[in-house]
Amino acid sequence: MSTLSQTKPPQSGQKPALPEYPVPRYRKILGADRSSWVFWGTIIVLAVLVLAPVVPTLYQSIRDRPLYEVGGIFTADNYVRLFTEADFGTVALNTVIFALMTTVLAIIIAVPMAIVVVRTNIPGRRIFGIAMQWPFFISSLILGFGWITMYGPAGFISVEVRRTLGFLPWDLYSLGGMAVTEAVALAPIAYVFCSNALRSSDASLEGAAQTVGAGPFRILRSVVIPMLRPPVVYSCLLVFSLSLETLSIPLLYGQPVGISVFATFLYNNGLQSIDPDYGILGAASAIILVVTIALVAVQAKLLKDAKRFVSVRGKATRPRILDLGWLRWVSVAFITIYVVFGALIPILGLVARSFTKVFTPLQNPLLSLTTNNYLTIFQYPVYVQSIKNSLIVASIGAIAVSLLATVAVVVARRSTFRYRKLIEYLALAPNAMPGLIIGIGLFWAFSFLPFGSGQFIQGTLWAIIIGFGLRALPSAYGSISPAAMQIGEELDQASRVAGADWLRTFLRMLAKLLTPAFGAAVILTFVVMLKEYSPAIFLGSADTNVIGTTMLELWVQGNTGSVAALATLQITLTAIFVGIAGLLMKGKKDA
Amino acid sequence: MPDVVVTNLRKEFAGTTVLHEVTFTIKDGEFFTLLGPSGCGKSTTLGLIAGLDKPTSGEISVGDVVFVSDRNGKFVPPESRNLGMVFQSYALWPHMTLAQNLAMPLNIRKIPKAEQQPLIYDALDKVGLAHLIKRYPHQLSGGQQQRVALARALVYSPKVLLLDEPLSNLDAKLREQARVWLKRLQAELGITTVYVTHDQEEALAMSDRIAVMSNGHMLQVAPPYEIYEEPATAEVAAFIGRSNFLDGDVINATGGSATVRLQESGEVINVSASGTFSTGDAVTVAFRPEKIHLSQTGATAPAGSIILDVDVLTTSYVGSRYEYDLKYGDRIIIAESSTGTVSGAAKLVIPAEAPRLYPRADVVSADAAELMAVTH
Repeated sequence: MSTLSQTKPPQSGQKPALPEYPVPRYRKILGADRSSWVFWGTIIVLAVLVLAPVVPTLYQSIRDRPLYEVGGIFTADNYVRLFTEADFGTVALNTVIFALMTTVLAIIIAVPMAIVVVRTNIPGRRIFGIAMQWPFFISSLILGFGWITMYGPAGFISVEVRRTLGFLPWDLYSLGGMAVTEAVALAPIAYVFCSNALRSSDASLEGAAQTVGAGPFRILRSVVIPMLRPPVVYSCLLVFSLSLETLSIPLLYGQPVGISVFATFLYNNGLQSIDPDYGILGAASAIILVVTIALVAVQAKLLKDAKRFVSVRGKATRPRILDLGWLRWVSVAFITIYVVFGALIPILGLVARSFTKVFTPLQNPLLSLTTNNYLTIFQYPVYVQSIKNSLIVASIGAIAVSLLATVAVVVARRSTFRYRKLIEYLALAPNAMPGLIIGIGLFWAFSFLPFGSGQFIQGTLWAIIIGFGLRALPSAYGSISPAAMQIGEELDQASRVAGADWLRTFLRMLAKLLTPAFGAAVILTFVVMLKEYSPAIFLGSADTNVIGTTMLELWVQGNTGSVAALATLQITLTAIFVGIAGLLMKGKKDA
Repeated sequence: MPDVVVTNLRKEFAGTTVLHEVTFTIKDGEFFTLLGPSGCGKSTTLGLIAGLDKPTSGEISVGDVVFVSDRNGKFVPPESRNLGMVFQSYALWPHMTLAQNLAMPLNIRKIPKAEQQPLIYDALDKVGLAHLIKRYPHQLSGGQQQRVALARALVYSPKVLLLDEPLSNLDAKLREQARVWLKRLQAELGITTVYVTHDQEEALAMSDRIAVMSNGHMLQVAPPYEIYEEPATAEVAAFIGRSNFLDGDVINATGGSATVRLQESGEVINVSASGTFSTGDAVTVAFRPEKIHLSQTGATAPAGSIILDVDVLTTSYVGSRYEYDLKYGDRIIIAESSTGTVSGAAKLVIPAEAPRLYPRADVVSADAAELMAVTH
């Protein structure tokens, strides 16, 4: 050490008298220290939020009349009627067929794509990797609109194909059509899981295969693909459970031809009928909830096991790039077809539709150019209001949810709170709750509040913020948690030993260090909440429509031009927001 | 600054006991080292003293202040213990300058800003870094960060200083210098210090007393000289420095010595024994490579020495001395020597004071035993 000479010599052999400073004291509130109050506060807020939609739903399912009416009795009749009168069996069968087809298709698209993009030498790997992030900007509702605009019975491409062939070889308004569209929408999720697994796998395993004489195809078959089993199984389950609860595409495709799945069943019975049968609605919701919770529980278990699979991490290794030869051009064609026909053409079609009076190959679209579709939206205050509402809900909601998620992460990961595990389960629980059921459940919960105080929330933007926020909570938690894990535990231990209690450590240390993660969570949840609409179907009112619900309304009215315009606006808003936020975050990092 | 008294400290993690009823006292102003291989429970012990973890049972007190006790369920959280701690990773708060890092504990103690300035300056000056006061931790080298961590742990004059392998992230040369420097600083301040390390040289060089730990047990607590020269168990002898071990059986035991038949050869030797042994006991004879001599004929052996017939397998020059691998029966004995000329059949001379006798213990890991066994 170069500065040895700078240390002071001992002072005349005597120990220097050291000053004594008081040990820091922290006030207790009602006998508990203030950190405990934060722990309990967090778990109570989370429990209330998560249980609010669930408990009334389960309760309603076994009551013989609506919750707000007095004098109900317990009954199993709702479940009986659900399968006899309401024909829920067919609905369940449809749902399962739809979900299975979606899962198989999504995996067929995603897994080869992940392997080819991450591990082989196809051209344009980076661009394909980025292109797979498109669902971040485009909701499945908008994708559905886009597909109908292009491939629907009267769609742009359908008309052209029918004119050439004399018939149309596909029918979008069928279970198969739904499944194809849904698979296109969900494939990127499966892709992300598989490509992450491929990226983190140990390249030396393949090196070992190469040294014993295996060629690129042999390596793919014997090493890479078997190692992919855990992420593939996991993404199967994820895609399956997501397609069980999805509303958008079944609603758009199934409604006109009378094909019902779980979500559309709830939609029809809760909203479309003049006098909703709350008993049946409750029983159906309860069954769907039980199924989705079971699926999410299995997912969580699998994910834990999958982590055990990759626990052997040592040196960071760069994934080996395999040479596919001529086959790479086949791969490129396959991916290009997916991206172009699955996402690009429908979305461009939707944008084109928003600027035309009529959108058909029978007439040159350039001749019917118009801005009327946008004018319609901007002329009616309700439509403008819905855009404002979406922005208000997304901004307030994103900040609120990210704050809650940050506190939840820190308590769950960085405290000695006895029930910290439970906090994590609660924060991730909304993953198992379909948006419609959150809407229905909160609707009942508000009507359950004492002194009719729920009226003040029901139908307001606050109700929608709570509903959307609950839906976005797992995403926020999931994006902050890894960042928190990366902050060395010794940093807060040092702070504790130096005299800061848990709360002070959180506010002065972790909160500051987590700020970038918090910012990222705000961006993520803002985009998620801007696209969200399903809980608002039950929670909103005429004054509190959001972009999604307005689009549905306009769609039902047949005003497809304005739907296209709103969709284009939503995509543009998302892109602008992500762009600006990205620039801000980047600027901060440089400073 | 009073004594740190640890009584019957025990810690379980998910059913496995990582610390078994450990009891020891650290005296005022002492440099006390917890030494052992990774997973021996030394860091757990330190974490329990700091209050970062709660013990399953047992008691820790400093003077008349009880930190934690299973008798009345008392637990003082780390922030109220008034200790200073330096972590292996230094744990400097990355978003604060050095001055801010040091000011944090002072702010918590509500020390006026005017008083803080000289305290921070003095603390950084002590570690020779006062000129870097406005820097951020990431702008410092590893050695500098380690000294800042020390300054931060000292700036509020804590009662006890806890050091968790603070030198292990430094490179070898720097580590040796830092060792001397740290020892001197501790002596100057006279602060009671608990030091955790797996590096025996570090422990021997710096400590007033060392506690050797293994598998959650405390094997020996003694000053460095005693630990090295008179290891209490065969495990300590194996872990501190190097030792050769030969298994045998006691065939005759009198007060201060025992006659042992060695398993490898059936040869009978006389060993002075500090413990009590009786005829028929299975024992292990341990002796250090630097305490024994090798000669071609054994002619110059001092009286009372044990002389064994060995074959020289390999001779390695390791800088400043030679090391011999000697074949004795099916075992390998390591000997150090200043000359490298002995070869073939030779005599190993073990002076009377060199060997120590322990109850039979498996001190050599299976892997090492395989490597050491002579294969034909």
